[in-house]
Order: sequence, then C-alpha cells, then structure tokens
Amino acid sequence: MTSPDQIAAQILSTKSLSVSQTWLNAFLSSSSTAQRNIPASALAKTAIFRLLASDIRESLSKHRSCVLPVDIHDPAVQEQRLQGAIPVQVLDIEDIGTSLWSQIEAIERVERGEAIRGREIVRTIAVGEDPEASENNRANNNSANGTANASGNSGYGPHRLILQDAAGTMVMGVEMQRIDGIALEKLAIGAKLLLRNPSVARGMVLLSPGSVTLLGGKIEALDKPWREGRKARLLEKTAGVERE
Amino acid sequence: MARKILCVAEKPAIARAVATHLSGGAFQTHAIRGNQYVKNYEFDFNFGGAWGTCSVTMTSVVGHLTGLDFDREYKGWMSCPPGALFEAPVQETVDKDKLPIADNIRNQAKYSKALFIWTDCDREGEHIGSEVRNQAKAGNARIEVKRAKFSNTESAHVRRAALEPVNLDEYQASAVAARIELDLRIGAAFTRLQTLQLQTVVAALKEKVISYGSCQFPTLGFVVDRYLRVQNFKPESFWGIKVILSREGKKVNFLWKRVHLFDRAVVTMMLERCLLAKQAKVTKVNQKPTSKWRPLPLTTVDLQMMGSRFLRLDSQTIMKVAEALYTKGFISYPRTETDQFDKGIDLKKLVEKQYPDNSWGQYARELIDGKFRTPRSGRHNDKAHPPIHPVIWVSPNQLNANEKKVYEFVVRRFLACCSDDAKGQSTDIEIQYGDEFFHANGLIVLERNYLDVYVYDKWESSQQLPNFERGELFEPTEANIFDGKTTAPNYLTEPELIGLMDANGIGTDATMAEHIAKIKEREYVAINQRGGGRSSVQEFIPTRLGVALVEGYDNVVEGLPNSVSLSKPFLRKEMELRMVEICSGTKTRQEVVQQSLDMYREVFIHTQRRINMLKTACRKYLVEETTS
Repeated sequence: MTSPDQIAAQILSTKSLSVSQTWLNAFLSSSSTAQRNIPASALAKTAIFRLLASDIRESLSKHRSCVLPVDIHDPAVQEQRLQGAIPVQVLDIEDIGTSLWSQIEAIERVERGEAIRGREIVRTIAVGEDPEASENNRANNNSANGTANASGNSGYGPHRLILQDAAGTMVMGVEMQRIDGIALEKLAIGAKLLLRNPSVARGMVLLSPGSVTLLGGKIEALDKPWREGRKARLLEKTAGVERE
Repeated sequence: MARKILCVAEKPAIARAVATHLSGGAFQTHAIRGNQYVKNYEFDFNFGGAWGTCSVTMTSVVGHLTGLDFDREYKGWMSCPPGALFEAPVQETVDKDKLPIADNIRNQAKYSKALFIWTDCDREGEHIGSEVRNQAKAGNARIEVKRAKFSNTESAHVRRAALEPVNLDEYQASAVAARIELDLRIGAAFTRLQTLQLQTVVAALKEKVISYGSCQFPTLGFVVDRYLRVQNFKPESFWGIKVILSREGKKVNFLWKRVHLFDRAVVTMMLERCLLAKQAKVTKVNQKPTSKWRPLPLTTVDLQMMGSRFLRLDSQTIMKVAEALYTKGFISYPRTETDQFDKGIDLKKLVEKQYPDNSWGQYARELIDGKFRTPRSGRHNDKAHPPIHPVIWVSPNQLNANEKKVYEFVVRRFLACCSDDAKGQSTDIEIQYGDEFFHANGLIVLERNYLDVYVYDKWESSQQLPNFERGELFEPTEANIFDGKTTAPNYLTEPELIGLMDANGIGTDATMAEHIAKIKEREYVAINQRGGGRSSVQEFIPTRLGVALVEGYDNVVEGLPNSVSLSKPFLRKEMELRMVEICSGTKTRQEVVQQSLDMYREVFIHTQRRINMLKTACRKYLVEETTS
C-alpha cells in the first residue's frame, strides 16, 4: 500500500508543494480501498488535482520555508528578495492598464449579446484613417486610450493580483513583465501560483515569468461569485473615483 | 415604319447631356404635356452595327415612376390592426404626378423599334429602368429593350455607351423591388403601431406621426448609444512615467511603453526602480525609411466622410453637389463603392485634362513628366462604376462655391491617387530604464509627393533626435511621474456616423445621407455646435423622443433569447445582405421578402406584447424629465 510519505514526496518533487499532513491523511482515508491499490503516481495525480481545487490554507504546509514573511507589506522596505518556492492562491485580479469604465463598457457589450459572432457592433471609427495605411504606420501603442477591445476581453494589463499563502497572509502582486496565463478570462480565482525567489518592493511582490510558475486550479466557491460580482465592483469603484 | 429609337434617362439634365453629346448639339426640343421639366429631344444618331443611323427621341423620367401602396381598404390608419400590414395586398401604381411622363413614354414607344434605357447604372437605376420598360411595353409590346452602360456624362464615354448597349439587370431591379416592399410593410406596420400607441401616452405626441424606418432606427441607435456613453462616463485618474534627456542642445522626451496605469502606488514603485537603476540603456536604434501612403481611389462613403470633415458641408449637401457635377459632366458617377481603377481606364489622359488649372495644373504636368504612379487598389469593386474622378477640367468661375469645394476635393484626391507616397526617414529609439521600457520617435519627411496636392493630409517632420548608439548607457536628465484623467468620448459627428453606418452595414452608400437627414427631420436628433470658428464641429445629440424610442425598443427585447432590438443594426444588416444575394442570383425576390418579413414580424409581436416598455420610456423622458 502507498504510504502518505510517498505521495507527499511525489507532490513535492513534481509541483514543489509541501502538502499538509492532516489534509493528506484526510484525502487518503476518503479514497476507497480500490483506489488505495493503484500506483502511488496515479494517486498523487488525483491528490494534486484536488489540491489545486482546494483552499491552500487547509491543504498546504504552513512551514516557515513555504509561506510569506508576515512583514511583507511593509511599504518602508525598498526591496527585498524572498528565498525559496512559496505557493500562493489568487484571490483577486485586476487590469490596471485599462480604465474601469472601459472595462464596464466591455462587460455591457457582452451582456447585450454583442460578443456573439455576427452580432458585433462597430462603435468607434477613426475618421480619415486609411485602414491599410495605418496598419503600416501605426506605432505599437495598443493601449493608448485605455480602452478594452470589443470582444469583451480585457486589455493588455499589467495585472494587479491579491495573493494569499498557506498561512493566510495576503499580499499584492504586480505583473511587471507579461506572464502567459495571467489574464482576466484565463486566471481563475483560487488558481495556484508558485513564487520562486521573488523580489518584493514597497510591499508589492514583483511578478515576472522568471519568478512565477502557474500551477492552475480554481476554487469554485470563490470564482463564481467573483465573476458574477465583477461589474458591480467596478461600478462601485468608479463611483468612488468620482468622490475623490 | 421609321427606324426610331426611344432613349430614356433618369433625370431631365442627363437626358439633355446625352442628347447634346450624341447629336453634337443639333437637336430639337419638344415640351411634353403635363410636366414642365421633362422634355423630348429629337435628333439622328448612327448606332452602328445592325441599327445604323436612326432618329432618336431622348427623354427622361424624374426618378421612380411608380410607387407601391396598400389596397384602398388598408390605407386608413384605423382600417386594420397594424400587424395585418405584413400580409395586406399591395399594388404598384404610377404616381399621380408622374402620369404625364408615363403617357409620354407609352406614346413614344408606339413609334419606336427599340427602347434604350439611360438610367444611372446602379441598383436603383436598374429598377427605374424596369419601370420605364414596363411603360414602353404597354405602348408597344414588340419594342426591343437595351440599356446603356455609362459612369459619367463625358462626350466620348456617352457615345461609346450608345454603341455598346447591354441588357437590363433583372436581379438588381428585383432587389430594389424587394427593398421597396419591405420598407413599405415594415415601415407602415411599426409606424402605425407606435404612433397609435404612443399618442395616447404623452400629450406632446398627440398630433405627431412617430415614423419608423428600418435604416433610420439603427442610425438613431448609434447617436443615442454615443450620447449615453458620454452622459454615463466617469473620469478616472491615471499616472505615468516620463523620462527626459538633454543632449546636444536638444531635449528628448521618452514615452513610457505602458503609456499610463490606473494605480498610483504601482507607478510610484516602478519609477523608484527606474531611479535606483541610475542609468538607462539604449536597447534599440531603428532607422528606417518610412512612407505615408497616398489615399485610395475615392468612394461615395469616403467622399461623404472626408467632405463633411474638410469641406464643412453635410453629407446630403455633398451628395447633391456631386450629383450636379456629374450631371454637368465634370466628374464621374458619384455613387460607387469601388476603390480600384480598372486597368482599361486611361488615367494619364484624365490627369492631362487638369493642365489648365492655376492651382494644380503644374502638379498634373509634373505627374505626366515622370512622377505618375499607378494608383493603389482597394478591396472593393461594385462592378458598376469606377472610383469618383474628374472627367474634364472646369474653370472655377463656372462653379458655385460648394461645387468649387467638392470639385477641388475630387480632383486633388484623384491627382493624389496617381502620385507617389510621401517618403521619410523614421527613427525609433528604445531604452530600458530599471525594469521599464521607453521610446522616442523621430520623423524626417524627405519627399512630400502626394501631400503637395492633397492638402487635407498632414505629415510633418518632428523634432530631430540626437544620436544614440545601441547598448550605450546614459543618465536621464529627468524622470518624473505625470498624471491625467480619462475623458469622455465626444458626441457623434457626421463623418463618424457615416463611418459607423458603413461599418455596420446600414444603408447603401447612396442612401446614408438620406437616413441621416431623416432622423433630423423627424426630430429624433438635433445638431449641436462644438467649439467655435474654423475648428467648430457639428455633433448629433438625440432628442428626448429619440432616447425614449431607443430605450423603449431595447427594453422590449430585454431578456428575450435571440431577439434583437430595432435600434441595433443586425436586422437591417441581414436584410442588406439578402439584397446582395438577390443581385447575385442566389435568392429570389419572394424568398427574401418572406424571410425578412418573418424576422421583423417576430420583433413586431414582441413589441405589441410589451408595448408598455415603449410607453414607459416615453413617459420617463417626455413627461417626468421635462417636469422635474
């Protein structure tokens, strides 16, 4: 029979995740006897799948080496570099390269069914611009107006994330360089990231392809309400801007 | 019987122009009874081939001869439920004021061997041609029917068209017939429904006809959509980083690759990391030849868009003026979607005709002396007309002020098409400063080429950049945060509205200006002047009624799966696409009429069922808002 240690070692070696003993025991005892006879690697795969859908505060080790330092938010610290691989889960993602208002307009276009093929409406026209010639002359300045594109997809970022470690510490992450997979439609709430020796500046974790591995996953109970409530949150924020 | 040929043009002025060219100016003019505009011009002309020299009667209609209407028992507004108009019998009859014209054609046909149709070569013209044919056949069942294919009224062109007749395009005529029937049924059904229902709601609407048109409403929809976007807009603050370097006595501004972000703390942190790096590194130095392309050959949509932008004329006026210039034989047919010149057309000869002009004659000469280039080809070809171009040179004192403007634009655009692109040298410098990238661009215009004649385009050298080398390090003179606020879009202008209609498939190039004029006339939109003096712009603002109708119809279909609001372009767009299918022969008129009626009938039923949505919207904007 496969021992919990074997599974834990497997998860550590393939995903660099230190799994919590309690969670693993619960996982093993919940799986049937039939499953217990299957090879350790297969069982480890199932465990990883469950892990990615879980809340890491319950499923991962809170050992000092795999959580964020508690003073990570200190804005007085100009720069520090964290050591090792720290798993975190995404609690929020925002596009800070695109205005809230144009994000709301993009959502409304989808609500009106204009993202459906054949139902798109062209709403802005560059008068006096020869479409072919401007392709030729245009600078690579696609977010110059801070507008999101017509399909309702987000702009080009960068994105600001709220990340949470196994101990429950939350921190803001900023996408300093474009990371594939970090986008409003692609990254689910509850998705897991592995931070590898990341830099932290003024309390913000600097995210780049070199310091982030996307493990994927999702916490359904968080993701669904987050998506449903997105427009309301954006609207609330724009109202806040007005009061300033 | 004499070998007589009856020629019929779409308008009296074209009849006269064609008669002048075919007869060499020697024709007799006869008035016709009952219409003071239409004349019969008589002369002889050698058509060559089997026909040889014939005596000709050249006459015209004045636009459409016939109209489509419901049978008498359905004409009264209370005669039937509005929904019945989707099926009610309709009849095509000659308009009362056109009866003398129809009589004239029937009479002339009696003595003629052949009918030669000279209506404008577009869809509408084919349909008018079919109306003329029907009258002629009623007068003389054995009359042979031909059609002249021409796109301007220049002498040689007209004579060639007379020698090479073609057949009437029945498909195009059917497409127009389908459109006329659909416009009648759908327009009348919705107009009656909404007028009768809304009259009872608001006192202000009591005496008013609230007309509906399947092009007007989406056109209004664009105006309302933009208006609401402006009204609802919320400004937001953004921040960015700018880097300045003073070198060789020049101040270079580097722009942030991220442009700006909506989070001050993040931008502050990013700037700090730039400053910590102390030195910036030049990562790219790109010097390359660049060009600004000469414009594409001129289409109707472009003429209207550019015209209302540069000539300060509204699109309807531009079309009227262009029509007059065409009728007088100065420019080619102004309704065309084609933005490519046919290989057969002798462009150089057309350029040479402009030699006498004081403003651009010299430029035309230089083109022929070696600077001539074959125009770019766009992607559109309506297979009927070439792009709009000047046919002959006209002395400015033969033109009124508006004609002068439009003619000048058409000529300059044509000469620009036959010129070389403007050439320049662009320099792009990219630097990395900390984690961030910035760039500076420089442009030196080396050869202006087409810009010399096409005064509407601007392309100018920027400040010159000092020298940079790839890999070099430097310490920026300044690096700062700047801030700003997003601004609301502007209200819709006429060129934008035309562009939106075109991009969304509403109306044809020929009818867009009419739809815009219609929604003004119906008081669904009003014109607002933005700014003053030469930079002032006319904007469209919807009236309360305009907003109410769009909101009402949007609410009617709210939450209904697969149903689209009448304020949106889709239904009309599909209808236009089906017209194209009739023209290409893949669908029949009957099929298209049935399919399109089915689509609109569905919305009609929803509207009837949820008429309260429309009433509520009207109450909201026309009663509550005006009193509060």
